[in-house]
Amino acid sequence: MNEASSLLLTFLREAWMALAGALLAFVLLAGIAQVLRVSAAGVLGANLWVWESVSALLSVMLIGLFAFLGIPQIGSALQSSLPNAPGCGPISELGTFASALIGGLAALRMLKAAFLSALSASIGGSSSFAHALIECAEAIFGMLLASLAIPLAAWFLGTC
Amino acid sequence: MFDPILQQILAIARDAWAFMAGLLIVVALLGGLYYVLQGTAGAAFGASRMTSMAIIGVVGLVIIVLFAFLFLPQIGEMLKSFQPAAPF
Repeated sequence: MNEASSLLLTFLREAWMALAGALLAFVLLAGIAQVLRVSAAGVLGANLWVWESVSALLSVMLIGLFAFLGIPQIGSALQSSLPNAPGCGPISELGTFASALIGGLAALRMLKAAFLSALSASIGGSSSFAHALIECAEAIFGMLLASLAIPLAAWFLGTC
Repeated sequence: MFDPILQQILAIARDAWAFMAGLLIVVALLGGLYYVLQGTAGAAFGASRMTSMAIIGVVGLVIIVLFAFLFLPQIGEMLKSFQPAAPF
């Protein structure tokens, strides 16, 4: 079980690093795309377009900062809030495995939501920061539920 | 495992960055030319407001281009330094 857990977590860690690198690239691309839009709109005299682009630029930077500073903190806070599985034997191992996997998946899901928001902004769509926040809230809720479910399952299945 | 994919994405992103930087220079040069034309026309007609708007436009355009070429790479460096390790 430990080997499977470390293998899956290594896979998730590599996915995290790749997603973080791609997020950085897309945040910068979104930034230059919005600056291009600002300059074009300024020349054309389209005031509304300029303000839309400025707010999109700010929101993309905010998404990047949130993804790089906020999500790891939320992830580690939630990881530490998950209880150690009580009991012994396979139940305990399964609980530890499940909590590690749930934490990894939730952190990766939050980063994916931020990445999609930045991607949407970089191709000229609306930067759906609210969507990223909803994904984060869902992940937090799921982890809180898991923190309740693991001890309950251990109690139901019998602890020693 | 994901490194080759990330390298491909980064190569595409670098190309897109170079393309957009070039496009920004072209748009800024065209915009600058337009404002120069507006300013000279305003000066010739005696339209001081038109001329001053053109001067402000050129200054704004220069600021935007400087923002893109000086500030955005710094933001990138800052975000790169913030790039987190996996919290699990």
